[in-house]
Amino acid sequence: MKLLFCIVLLLMLPAISTAAGEAAVVGHIQTLQGSVWIERGALRLGGEAGSEVRQGDILRTGKPGAVGLVLLDNTTVSLGSGSELVVRDYAFQPREGKFTLVMQMLKGSFSYVSGLIGKLAPDAIRLQLPEATIAVRGTKLLVEIGD
Amino acid sequence: MRASYCLGLLLTVLLGACGGRQSIVLVPDPDGRVGRAEVITAGGKRLLDKSGDMTQVRSRILQPSAVSTAQAGYLAERFGEALAIEPPAPEKFVLYFETGTTVLKPPSHEVVNQIVAASQRRKAISIAISGHTDTAGSVQLNDDLARQRADFVHQLLTLRGAEFKRISVSSHGKGNPAVPTADGVAEPRNRRAEITVY
Repeated sequence: MKLLFCIVLLLMLPAISTAAGEAAVVGHIQTLQGSVWIERGALRLGGEAGSEVRQGDILRTGKPGAVGLVLLDNTTVSLGSGSELVVRDYAFQPREGKFTLVMQMLKGSFSYVSGLIGKLAPDAIRLQLPEATIAVRGTKLLVEIGD
Repeated sequence: MRASYCLGLLLTVLLGACGGRQSIVLVPDPDGRVGRAEVITAGGKRLLDKSGDMTQVRSRILQPSAVSTAQAGYLAERFGEALAIEPPAPEKFVLYFETGTTVLKPPSHEVVNQIVAASQRRKAISIAISGHTDTAGSVQLNDDLARQRADFVHQLLTLRGAEFKRISVSSHGKGNPAVPTADGVAEPRNRRAEITVY
């Protein structure tokens, strides 16, 4: 009986964690051109001005396509055609003094401009490229990942 | 012969299998400041700290290339699209409150009009409101008061016809002062709401 209960509980676990674990909003789409979409798990959403971007979402641009993203702390990232970006880990909680920004630039071209996290906690920022990591302190960076 | 073939193959696998070359260029931010960036692989690292500094990464096992200076033509060609779609700088406003309340100080009423006008002129995509307090009073009291101030501004902007597609409201309590003070200090410049119009 106890075993059965455990199995049922285990089966329910994914449902429970999905219900409780909707990823946090980290920013929004401010500008865009051409085809832009957001992949969230199995969902594929067309991007538009004002679309929310959540932690773990894959933000993609087509060819042609370009998008400008603003994070909650005013960090901005813009993507040219054929690009792919994930905000992997993000915390902007001035009340608790918690700051984290880990972004994966997977392919394409990017312009990154640091925001408040860059001012308040510059060591909390990591940009992950396919073969390198960038520790960036309060500035603007251009990044291109060749095909 | 065979040995050199194997070596060649190995190098191709190590260098080539990993996809394209990655280029990183440091440029001045919108205020003209140049910060610094460290590019790190398993093979080593390079520091970029001057405007136009560029390094390239071909493989995670190799040190990034020696720092060179990026040419304007290269930047325009490779980054023209991303630069053209950069979000414009937002407009920022501050509203001040009477002590312990959500009552605006008289001069802030005019600022409310400016916020509404800016949202309409820009056809704002997003408005972010954060509520703040000074450090007099308990953490709980200030968290609640900061939240009430932010909620009040949200209602006020909506009533006045501010334009936005999305809005976010947050409480920073006494944790993010405009003017840092010791705890327990009444400071009018910290009794505020900050409004950013995107």
